[in-house]
Amino acid sequence: MSEMLEKISKNIESIALEVVMLDVQDIPALGKIVNCLGVLEEDSKEIDQPAFSELIQAIKSYIEKIILGEAADVTPLEEGVDSLQTILRHVSNQEEYGGDISQILDRLKFKKAEPDEAQRVQAVGTKEKEEDIQSPDEDLSEEDRAITLDFVMESLENLEAIEVSLIDLEEDSSDIDSLNTIFRTFHTIKGVSSFLNLQRINTLAHHAENLLDKARGGEIVLEGATVDIVFESMDALKKMIMGARQGIENRTSLDIGLDVAPLVNRIEELVSRADLIGDKPLGEILVQGGAVTPDDLAKGLERQKTEPGKKIGQILVEEKSAEPKAVASALREQKKFSSRQIDLQVKVDTKKLDNLVDMTGELVIAMSMLRQSQVILTAQDQKLERNLGQLAQITSGLQTTAMSMRMVPIKSTFQKMVRLIRDLSKNAGKQVQLEMTGEDTEIDRNVVDELYEPLVHMIRNSVDHGIEPPEERKKAGKNRKGKIHLRAYHQGGHIIVEIADDGRGLNKDRIIEKAKAGGMITEESEFTDSEIYNLIFQPGFSTAEKVTDVSGRGVGMDVVKKAMEKLRGRVEINTRPGEGTTFVISLPLTLAIIEGMLVRVGAERYIIPVFSVLESFRPTKEQYSTVEGKGEMLLSRGRLIPMVRLDRTFKVKGDAADPWESLVVIVEHEGRQMGLLLDELLGKEEVVIKSMGAAMQNINGIAGGAIMGDGRVGLILDMAGIWAIVQNN
Amino acid sequence: MDLNMKVLIVDDFATMRRILRNILKQIGFTNIVDADDGDTALKELKKEKIDLILCDWNMPEMPGIDLLKTLKADEQLKDIPFVMVTAEAQKDNIIKAVKSGVSSYIVKPFTAETVSEKLNKVFGD
Repeated sequence: MSEMLEKISKNIESIALEVVMLDVQDIPALGKIVNCLGVLEEDSKEIDQPAFSELIQAIKSYIEKIILGEAADVTPLEEGVDSLQTILRHVSNQEEYGGDISQILDRLKFKKAEPDEAQRVQAVGTKEKEEDIQSPDEDLSEEDRAITLDFVMESLENLEAIEVSLIDLEEDSSDIDSLNTIFRTFHTIKGVSSFLNLQRINTLAHHAENLLDKARGGEIVLEGATVDIVFESMDALKKMIMGARQGIENRTSLDIGLDVAPLVNRIEELVSRADLIGDKPLGEILVQGGAVTPDDLAKGLERQKTEPGKKIGQILVEEKSAEPKAVASALREQKKFSSRQIDLQVKVDTKKLDNLVDMTGELVIAMSMLRQSQVILTAQDQKLERNLGQLAQITSGLQTTAMSMRMVPIKSTFQKMVRLIRDLSKNAGKQVQLEMTGEDTEIDRNVVDELYEPLVHMIRNSVDHGIEPPEERKKAGKNRKGKIHLRAYHQGGHIIVEIADDGRGLNKDRIIEKAKAGGMITEESEFTDSEIYNLIFQPGFSTAEKVTDVSGRGVGMDVVKKAMEKLRGRVEINTRPGEGTTFVISLPLTLAIIEGMLVRVGAERYIIPVFSVLESFRPTKEQYSTVEGKGEMLLSRGRLIPMVRLDRTFKVKGDAADPWESLVVIVEHEGRQMGLLLDELLGKEEVVIKSMGAAMQNINGIAGGAIMGDGRVGLILDMAGIWAIVQNN
Repeated sequence: MDLNMKVLIVDDFATMRRILRNILKQIGFTNIVDADDGDTALKELKKEKIDLILCDWNMPEMPGIDLLKTLKADEQLKDIPFVMVTAEAQKDNIIKAVKSGVSSYIVKPFTAETVSEKLNKVFGD
């Protein structure tokens, strides 16, 4: 006992010394005192003097106020420590301490009035009025603009990343790591927006952060309405942040005037309700949900008695009572989306990138022109030869790098679908699970942007029409929860994106019926199954309500197809009745370069995109025929396909008139084949696509131009256009 | 306070690093490096002599408080002034940081004046 008293007494002495010398702004000194008081608090339990312990507590919280800048007067501290010493002296002498510490306690417990929550919400309203009068932010410095743009980019990226975390969290509300990630994002947005004077963004982020903090403390379980409100807050923040970007770009106000007060009020309602309920129900909820056993909960509650400041949720997690497995899997998830990936990057305007790619393209061309020039070809200089070789190598390296700079992982696009599917399935009353593979597959930045809308369209179709309602699925012997699988991978110079569902599949009969009614086909026997299914990509199907209701597909699929063709990609559909449907999108790696089959027709050279080439051969007389009303046809692998004479189509003079003296390249377009008659195959070459300029943009059958190695121009054929020409003849 | 000293900013959010850098420049600092997480900060600290650390509280992987504790446990690094950057209304965090031995703390949002004031205090001016 006396040893302990000695220790306590020494401790108080050193505290007293610190207090006398104290400068209220000396943070390290204050830290030292708080720590000493902590030790003192522990030790004081041994001597069982309630007044003594109470006084220590009061002094400690007073010091904390000084640290926080809420108090600056040291006198109460000195008095408090004085009283401590007096009490201790009494205890040492084994006397009863009869003094009154209530006065000093009062002085130490001085409480700084805090505005209550209701007033703060009110304050939001008044602040907004002030802002309305605010003039457009013209006085922003260039540096401020740059920082705000940084903030916009970084916040949007983070907000997108946490959508997935939030959905994880909705599925498993004990997933602390996801919750922390979400919290951190709101927290950071709040912090940074306060510097940038983005008042409304700051207000909303602040309140949402409050809500999430309650969730972290275990006072609120994030589920149902609470998750919805977090989603809403995310959406509102995104909207306002994008508004701020527009403001920066157009030099207008950064504030889009979105009224956040209703949302903030709803958040506050949830928060205050949680305050009323307090800790107890959380334990019950956790037990009910099977996240914790009643025993663990009891243990946690026991510990809570010894650590009054702590929330039960926090304790349970610290004690590892709340699902370590969920935590581990979430950890992995968090690593994937860790904010580290966004760092160490330079943000460059995509226009500049496009320019760079364009210039390197020109460089490659200039390079090959140089190599093929007569002077170089006939030169006998080894050194020149070597230097040229090196130049060529550097040039192609530069080109690869320039191309790769525009590549981004498809992950962010896929991630957006997570949210979409969640919302869609909720609306449709279906259960849909999303799986993703190959999210790291890289794809041209420009393609990514163009890909988003079509993807949304196809997924909407899959959820709305492909996946059956839970009951129907059960009857069909399937899992009640439907599945949509997003897949991305490389295949032969292309990027393949697949959207596969395990729903009911397409109804072939209905499509045929509809197609006949729409006059798209006359006799179905002419078509393969694949051709029939791909009919849904025809424009006529876009308003086909009946088909939509029965067979489930066809709404606006022509839009998807057009978008894909714009990207020089293809979309196909595979389906098995009752088993599901898969959309397969095939896209070029980049939009700037095309892999082309160089062909000659007379004196002209054309480039056929390799992705549409199936095969080439010299037809025999037997393979060639003319069909009444359909023109020239070729028999290829047992099928009759139309033959197109490129020389006639483009009005140039070809070498030979008879097909069996020329060559045919079979190309495929929209699942249909045709044979292009030409004079010679010159080889395969990667060419940089050049626009033909505004005046020659819409020439049927020509997609663009390319400058060949010898400086001459080759025209890139457009299969859709040629097909249209064939149809019209 | 020697404005030529080397300052290390630790924050996972790039925009925040930029804001801090700007404010430090406004005060007159010229020698500023930054790190986007605790591990990188530690590497930076091992690499060169740092005279002052400004660190965000709220970071994934290694929160500011953990970095602070790591530094305080390291004989060579424990004396480098460490200033914690926190958000308002996170009073518990501030107390925790002070207990763990920060030289000072700054609360967001802050201005160059407040930062300058706090730093002057840290360096005893």
